[in-house]
Amino acid sequence: MSRLQRAGWAAASIAVGIAMIGIWQFIAWHKLVSPVFLPGPDQTWAALVDGFENGMLGEQTLETVERMIYGWVLASLLGTGLGALIGSSRRARELIAPTLEFIRPLPSSAMIPVGIAFFGLTKSMVVGVVAFGSIWPMLLATIHGFSAVEPRLIEVGRVLKLSRLQMAFKIAFPNAMPDIFAAMRLGLITALILSVVGEILAFQGGLGSHILEASRAYRSPDLFAGVIVLGMIGLTSNLVLSFLEARFLRWRRP
Amino acid sequence: MDRSTSNADDALIAFRNVSLSLGGRPILENINLKVRRREFICVVGPSGCGKTTLLRLIAGLVHPDAGEVIYDGQVVGEPASDVALIFQDYSKALLPWRTASGNVSLALEASGTPKPERAQRIRALLDKVGLAHHADKYPAQLSGGMQQRLQIARCLAQGPSVLLMDEPFGALDAMTRQVLQDEVLRIAESGHTSVFFVTHDLEEAIYLGDRVVALRPNPGRVAEIFDVRLPRPRDQLSTREDPEFMRLRRVLFDFIQETES
Ligand SMILES: Nc1ncnc2c1ncn2[C@@H]1O[C@H](COP(=O)(O)OP(=O)(O)OP(=O)(O)O)[C@@H](O)[C@H]1O
Ligand SMILES: [Mg+2]
Repeated sequence: MSRLQRAGWAAASIAVGIAMIGIWQFIAWHKLVSPVFLPGPDQTWAALVDGFENGMLGEQTLETVERMIYGWVLASLLGTGLGALIGSSRRARELIAPTLEFIRPLPSSAMIPVGIAFFGLTKSMVVGVVAFGSIWPMLLATIHGFSAVEPRLIEVGRVLKLSRLQMAFKIAFPNAMPDIFAAMRLGLITALILSVVGEILAFQGGLGSHILEASRAYRSPDLFAGVIVLGMIGLTSNLVLSFLEARFLRWRRP
Repeated sequence: MDRSTSNADDALIAFRNVSLSLGGRPILENINLKVRRREFICVVGPSGCGKTTLLRLIAGLVHPDAGEVIYDGQVVGEPASDVALIFQDYSKALLPWRTASGNVSLALEASGTPKPERAQRIRALLDKVGLAHHADKYPAQLSGGMQQRLQIARCLAQGPSVLLMDEPFGALDAMTRQVLQDEVLRIAESGHTSVFFVTHDLEEAIYLGDRVVALRPNPGRVAEIFDVRLPRPRDQLSTREDPEFMRLRRVLFDFIQETES
């Protein structure tokens, strides 16, 4: 694609966004959907500005982001660490992988009641559940990346007499990097969802509580403001990760 | 003709009655072969006759069922650090996430070369294979010939006494191939390196080798060993026009025809 074409597409996609907001505004003005459920973009915007001005929304956003990041970092570290251990040994892989395949498809929010039983209704429970729920993509990607090393490279390592540790850090881990990065993106979104669901279920503040309270009080503009902030968090974190990915995986697109 | 029975002391590599089966099928049978120090030995034979397997035995990547492979007076067990192996599929043998210098560095890291010394040695090695200006490029940014040069540089970083080369130029165009042939000759000459060179190309074998080993298939056996009495340094034009070159080419060609039929 030429630069001009790309700019064209970008402009078009912005136009689509504006058109959607226009339709939304149109529906709200003409009360095609009851304002109790659907506030207009103007009201939502006002609720957003108001929320950030009085500081409540900002604080809740920070709480949620903090939880998401703690849980996600924990999941990434544990996931890649465990994945590396399991992936480096064929025996461990054959022993553990079937069990993992069984646990993985369980919806992560189903783990929240289990988490409550373990940790009680605490802040660490939410982080724990976030970590537990978002660890799977990282874990499985690392196992896969570690076990799917080009056999030729393993031979190169053998001929050069690399130690097991060198083999892991110099060959297997970089080999798994693209998989791990893709999984970390996936994991981050899961972490965001789980943070909010955890907050809703355990009444632990954050955007989850904001959304819950707004919906109970039929304050739909506040509800929508919360949802929009969530969208922004997802978008921003994905952009940051894309940027990091482009830097770390530069060798993939020469 | 077979000089492998000469004085045992100057043999760097020796196969003694080596047999090997893979997947229940005999691949190599009763191989006896010696490679002298600083010798350039080429191995030819029809596809599937066990050339690569022979090379992997020296590298210590596979082990014989019977007999023994001796390297430098010792039975080959694990790979030795001064035996370098150059794979045919260079694109798979390089780390795609490391630049040219990073790939050479791998060998130095493996041998525990202190970090401050690495940069200079990497530069010298890349210079030696003509990649000085491509140090920061990733393998995917290099042409096939350059990738193979890079692999050679990494192998030289091991400071090898032996270069094992498995059809290293098979996938390259004729021009690049000739240039690299001369480079390998130069490197082997100046580094006092023994070379065990597997190829499909009979002319290449004669051009490079001191001796050419011809294998017979099913199972792989040493059929005949040809001495190459051509003067060194070799030259792409005059060597190939030498009557002895043409005679050997004829003999080898007939021989391969016969084994393949
Ligand atoms: N791991 C293995 N298991 C079973 N059979 C194998 C294995 N490796 C190689 N072989 C078989 O051993 C025979 C010799 O293989 P080898 O790769 O040494 O042949 P080659 O002479 O190098 O052939 P080419 O010229 O095609 O490279 C082939 O028939 C091959 O199918
Ligand atoms: Mg082969």
